[in-house]
Amino acid sequence: MKALLLAALLLAAPARGEDVLYLYNWNNYISDDTVQRFETSCKCRLKQDYYSDNEEMLAKLEAGAAGYDLIVPTGNAVESLIRRQALRPLDKTLLPHLPNIKREYLDPWYDPGNRYSVPYATTVTLLGFNVTRLAELGLPTDSWALIFEPEYLAKLKGRVTVLNSQRELMAAAMRYLGHSVHTRDPAQWDEAKRLILRAKPYWATFSNSTYIKDLAIGTIWVAHGYSSDMYRAQQDARQAKRPFAIGFTTPKEGAVLAVDNFVLHKSGRRPDLAHRFIDFMLDGANAADISNLIGAGNPNAAATPYIAPEIAGNPAIFPSPAQMQRLEMLRDLDPATRRSLSRMWTEIKVR
Amino acid sequence: MTKRGLRGDLTRWLVSLPPTVFLLVFFLAPTLIMVTASFQNPGEFGGLAPLFAEGQARLTLETYRFFFGDWIYAEIFLRSFLVAGATTLICLIFAYPLALTIAASPKRHRDLLVLLVILPFASNFLIRVYAWIILLGPAGLLYTPIAVIAGMVYVHLPFMILPLYTNLEKHDPTLLEAAQDLGAGAWTRFWRVTWPLSLPGIWSGTALVFIPVLGMFAIPELLGGTGDILIGNLIKEQFLESRDWPLGSTLSLLLTLAVLALAALSAWAASPRRQRS
Amino acid sequence: MKHRTPWLWGAALAVYAFLYLPLAVVVIFSFNDSQLNAQWVGFTTRWYAKLFADGEMLHAAANSLAIALTAASVATVLGTMAGIAMQRWPTGVLRALPGLVLTPVAMPEILLGVSLLLFFREVLDLTLGLVSILVAHITFSIGFVAIIVRARLAGMDESIFEAARDLGASPWQTFRCVTLPLIAPGILAGFLMSFTLSIDDFVITFFVAGVGVTTLPLQIYSMIKVAVSPEVNAVSTLLMALTLTLIFIASRLAPDALKVKP
Repeated sequence: MKALLLAALLLAAPARGEDVLYLYNWNNYISDDTVQRFETSCKCRLKQDYYSDNEEMLAKLEAGAAGYDLIVPTGNAVESLIRRQALRPLDKTLLPHLPNIKREYLDPWYDPGNRYSVPYATTVTLLGFNVTRLAELGLPTDSWALIFEPEYLAKLKGRVTVLNSQRELMAAAMRYLGHSVHTRDPAQWDEAKRLILRAKPYWATFSNSTYIKDLAIGTIWVAHGYSSDMYRAQQDARQAKRPFAIGFTTPKEGAVLAVDNFVLHKSGRRPDLAHRFIDFMLDGANAADISNLIGAGNPNAAATPYIAPEIAGNPAIFPSPAQMQRLEMLRDLDPATRRSLSRMWTEIKVR
Repeated sequence: MTKRGLRGDLTRWLVSLPPTVFLLVFFLAPTLIMVTASFQNPGEFGGLAPLFAEGQARLTLETYRFFFGDWIYAEIFLRSFLVAGATTLICLIFAYPLALTIAASPKRHRDLLVLLVILPFASNFLIRVYAWIILLGPAGLLYTPIAVIAGMVYVHLPFMILPLYTNLEKHDPTLLEAAQDLGAGAWTRFWRVTWPLSLPGIWSGTALVFIPVLGMFAIPELLGGTGDILIGNLIKEQFLESRDWPLGSTLSLLLTLAVLALAALSAWAASPRRQRS
Repeated sequence: MKHRTPWLWGAALAVYAFLYLPLAVVVIFSFNDSQLNAQWVGFTTRWYAKLFADGEMLHAAANSLAIALTAASVATVLGTMAGIAMQRWPTGVLRALPGLVLTPVAMPEILLGVSLLLFFREVLDLTLGLVSILVAHITFSIGFVAIIVRARLAGMDESIFEAARDLGASPWQTFRCVTLPLIAPGILAGFLMSFTLSIDDFVITFFVAGVGVTTLPLQIYSMIKVAVSPEVNAVSTLLMALTLTLIFIASRLAPDALKVKP
């Protein structure tokens, strides 16, 4: 018995002296290829845990999950983590490749001077859809109306999923109604709530990640989600030789743009490895992976020559300057607003 | 006090203290913390605002006011009770014929038949839910209330079968024979003899199914649709998404009270004294 | 009882089918040559190959095993003590002991998870990780061990212990030479029970898990949520095979432990 116990403990503990970098990342946000190349180059191991919503990540950190070296929060969450004093300032002497980042992504509002964060990838929260089905049904795919208007939804009943994220769904509704995603006007919030409640009976479920496989299998025809996930669904459907294709576009009313960044958490024990990882990912060839393999937008100028043309030319992944005008980034909320949003969210789910 | 008495006392404390202290610290204390947490303010970034600030305790009824401020939260409690009730009822309908069959089969087969009930539950809980994702997806039933109930029933069924079987197995067959001799038909024999005698088994099975269903969040999350939110989901959301620990604590506390009341009720219903009267 | 009716057997068979059919589907699709669990394409074992190359999954499995062994050992010791105390001294302050021991068993798991999370964070300021998971698993296992041990003790004749005492045995000697051998099967059953509970637990672990200590159920959960991959089916199939083997061995070693005692 004792021997068995000892053996199990030995198995579970990482081999002594092994260097491990703990990364808390979005699911489906770095390819296995990239991870392997980094592990070979640094002779260390990269261990990942995953989240599918910023709120989920912030909540888990607040609950006492300490020890992550690196996290990949979106701008608004970076802002919140900085105010929380939870981040370690970057040592830029360890990041020689930092100038690779495009100028428009440097010095962002959430982290002036990039003291804590390095932009990694961008995604747009948009609509993914079954091209074949929607063509058969003759439905437009360039507007949020597809998931909010009963007129269209009537043909899609039970075939639509929307994000299980209070912030993202409200933002989509706000853009469709012509408001800013930052609005605090109670009347506009109420309007958005009513819009959502009117459409809800037609939706299948709230989902943050399962829509990837549901789109690929073909049980879901329209999904509100992240551009990189839609890309994955598109690839999965193609590889499995499904008799249909998956497409995704940014609705014309505008949407949420997420700039996701590497930051160092204070509780991390290996800032040295974390810096090495960030700099590795800043290298053009490596940075290109996030676009080529994951289908995310890229803030790295040096990556551009490596990015496959069909991806670089996809406006749903790399928005045009005109589209950029209609994209907004989310901001963090205070506890009182958080509570009233959560209350509204509960009401949305119950009604 | 005699020497033996002293030593006996010492033994008694040596044996009972470690588990008692462990459970006082890691079960009772956390539950009490939950009570105070429900009266605290949410922290700015999550967690709880400090209990003491400027030499004063910062307690508030705000969360309770918020909870009782409208019907939304009560409605979710009610809905959870309905789902738990439906699950329990279906479990009972499924479990009864099976338990009856096992109890009526030859003694040498019974252990095997019971083992066959337990075996599927040696697989991981999530795998049992996952099976229904695969099964219901193509049928177009995934993300519906039916899927939630199916998952709930599937996961909790043995907790109804086993106590029921344990009870039925103890029944004295001569009672049924006597009833038959008195001219009672099969239905009458069941309804007037077997059913009333099996009530204690039904009650313990009900408690074992009903209570865990109340706190379930993974099944509605993985199988349910837009409206399938239960207390468990709501509690999880406060702690792991909305960062509103006071509200999460209040919800947990109310659920605890509901569960304790239910457990007491079922213990009372299943008690032999009541059965006799 | 000889009043068997065919429809009753039919109903019973249907319920057995209900119990086994879903798991059969999981097993079948683990050999399906398609990324999507949607339709049968062809036979393959590549998901198993992928599984054994999946470092994260293997690491999670090792974590689960280590946690289950440690938690079950501690819970067995504490639970046995609690079981003995509940049976032998049902008086005085200790009258409250059954309540303390049995309530965690009856509570929905989420409540235990949430209250421990609060406690770790607000009182102990503990970093979530191995320790928090272990404490949580021990807490919910003690009650199960105690119930089994107490049931075993309750079926015994008190006079054996009196005889030992009258012969001059110290309490420790009585325990070592008389009580322990008699309740050993109960202790073993309690250990197996807490081991299974720990290795299977998802809900409580979900709340108190921290960085780098992913358990197998947590790993499966994150896989199910992201994308359905037959790798999940493969790991499920292997786990089922493992449990079947364990149950088979247990039934050979201690045939009594598996019986449902009325």
